[in-house]
Amino acid sequence: MNKNAFGQPLSRRTALQLLGVGGAGAALTACAGPGSTAGSTSAASAPATGKPTGAISFAHWRAEDKDVFAKLISAFQSATPDVTVRQDISPSNDYQSSALQRIRGGSVGDVFTAFRGAQFVDMVKAGVYTDMSKQAVVQQYEPSLITAGQQDGTQYGFPYQVVFNMPVTNEDIIGTATGGTPPKDWQSFLDLCDKLKSQGLVPIAWPGGDPGNAGQLFNSMVMNNAPSDDMCAKIESGEYKCTDDWFLTTLKQYQQLKPYFQPNSTGTAVEPCQQIFATKKAAMLATGSYHIAAIRALGATFPMNVISPITTSAEKAKYEGIYNATFILGVNSHSQHQAAASAWLEFLSQPANAGEYANGTSQHVTVKGVEYTNPDLKALAPWLQKKTLLAPRFQFNNLDIRSAVEGACIAVVGGKSPDAAAADAQRVVDQQRSQ
Amino acid sequence: MTETLQERSPRVGDGEARTGRRRRSAAARTHPGLWLFPLPALVLYVVFFAGPTIQAFQYSITDWDGFSAAYQNVGATNFENIATNDDLFLGAATNNLKFLLVVVIAQTVLSLLLAVLLQRNSRSSTTLRALFFLPAILSSVSVAFVWKFMYDPNFGLINQVLGGIGLDGLKSSFLGNASTAIYWVALTQVWAHAGQLMVIFVAGLQQIPEELYESAALDGASQWQRFRFVTWPLIAPATAIVVAYTTIQSFKAFDLILGLGGNPPKGSLDILSTRIYTTFTNSRFGYAAAESIVFMVIIALVSFLQRRAVRLTQHGV
Repeated sequence: MNKNAFGQPLSRRTALQLLGVGGAGAALTACAGPGSTAGSTSAASAPATGKPTGAISFAHWRAEDKDVFAKLISAFQSATPDVTVRQDISPSNDYQSSALQRIRGGSVGDVFTAFRGAQFVDMVKAGVYTDMSKQAVVQQYEPSLITAGQQDGTQYGFPYQVVFNMPVTNEDIIGTATGGTPPKDWQSFLDLCDKLKSQGLVPIAWPGGDPGNAGQLFNSMVMNNAPSDDMCAKIESGEYKCTDDWFLTTLKQYQQLKPYFQPNSTGTAVEPCQQIFATKKAAMLATGSYHIAAIRALGATFPMNVISPITTSAEKAKYEGIYNATFILGVNSHSQHQAAASAWLEFLSQPANAGEYANGTSQHVTVKGVEYTNPDLKALAPWLQKKTLLAPRFQFNNLDIRSAVEGACIAVVGGKSPDAAAADAQRVVDQQRSQ
Repeated sequence: MTETLQERSPRVGDGEARTGRRRRSAAARTHPGLWLFPLPALVLYVVFFAGPTIQAFQYSITDWDGFSAAYQNVGATNFENIATNDDLFLGAATNNLKFLLVVVIAQTVLSLLLAVLLQRNSRSSTTLRALFFLPAILSSVSVAFVWKFMYDPNFGLINQVLGGIGLDGLKSSFLGNASTAIYWVALTQVWAHAGQLMVIFVAGLQQIPEELYESAALDGASQWQRFRFVTWPLIAPATAIVVAYTTIQSFKAFDLILGLGGNPPKGSLDILSTRIYTTFTNSRFGYAAAESIVFMVIIALVSFLQRRAVRLTQHGV
């Protein structure tokens, strides 16, 4: 028989008492306050320096860029033999949902990325970014394109990609229909859609069944209608309302676009839209330039460009289009290999390597002095100089508010009246703000 | 002597009884070492179930964002908001209820019908049972992707067939129609799991003695009466399992919804589990924990009511 510390036999009662005490202890442990196990959220410090060594993890969501990154990793490891880099890739939706919790642990994402908007804000708040403000690597980037990686004057990360979140066009069709001059106002845009429809084409393939991609058109639709550039932040703060005239105008314009989308557009996912566009049945794909590579993979050989519907008169239009600077690279403050992580980030920031990434993935980058050899990138390069607005939908930090506001646009296309859709959206905004 | 023996014998008997009791007591007393055996399970239970549940209660009265060290205790505010000031949660609960009703009724009826038709162990029945069971071995994500393309308004099989037979008027945007979207997801769920539940009913049906049907037939009972008065009461345990399983499954159709509706899903496809997940994603851990507790209460309540209903139905026939 087992004996306890006092040399007496351990009875069933004693065993139960011990288990009870253990259970109560565990329960009390469970009662530890939320956040008491959280990582540091204090002010960020610069990444550690020293000789780059160790195995690091590069966390991101771009599975389609895996091969290009693999080539770059191979070149980096040859140049820095004491460092190995592993890609930790999650689908973009999962990354949006769970990356912060995984990266905070420090075991994944010595170098990591963040979406512009809510995720970047949360990651800064959680203290996972190191302060890159005083690092030499800042000089490698175009200053106007990396503001999305700053907060309160500190450069936490570097947005790596520049994408144009506005409809992609089949230039063979649009060029012929417009004579090379894109519509400068709303009526001209509707006339263009009418003309395309009369040719038996779907003017705009719009993935209304995929809220993430459907919302990209929202950027173009509000960029000139809204009274200020921070319209989405102001909806979230309560300064603007979905029932305001400018937003109701936007919803009515969505209603006007409905006949020019493919039939039953609110139930269409993004892949069928890409298919319709790639097979020349649609003249525009209302997502963004980040889909050009996927369209090419579907066999499209026609020239492509991007276009933004101008929703006002030509004189009132402030912007010609939309861009977004995202894929915000950073060094993890909880990383055990910060020197190696910094070395990998610096490697990606060199123009030759950034160029390899850009041309390999058909995406522009924020790094200075990159030579674009990819024909699609060359075709879109003039947009880097045009008057474009940083995609406003990512000003929303509350994803439920964003879904409600963008959902109103989808609801209108689905048949709801603009007034009712606006009122429903505003009710959710008000509730979220008051909770 | 006799007296003495008689006087002593009880003492001897007492001694034996005491010894026997002691032996039995020693045998009955579990060796303390044995108490170590349930310990791993107990630790797992405490760490992965009891602990998180207790924590959920604690988080639910805070405004914790999931990563900050600082948080505020907000008392019952989160619960008040859920009850009175949250259209998103209410919408998700309504969707979940619609989904639950359709799935529980349709899946139970369909699986029972299939089981009745295929209960014999003939070669054709066995083959058909295997075929109907097949979707159950697919992951929910695979099922979602298959049906996502079935429901596609432009390339999907359903609209193409409708167009092919001249029924263009019946073409639909399916998941894009806010008022019907959740029912299409429910249909997918029924397709995926009816075969699995059919197996439970087949097992239940095969336990019913053939004599009962023979005597019912001798009494002049019709096919329907035999089903109503013999089969239905005797498959009560199987029905209870099917209904309980389907109910819980309906609340956990998380991956199917995300596969079909994206992440986060539109309001018309949002159910309670996806709503809680979206709230967590939105860095509102305290509020999401409160939603989880309300969710737990709803499941308990629905399960209780359902068990009562099934019992009443089967005792009342």
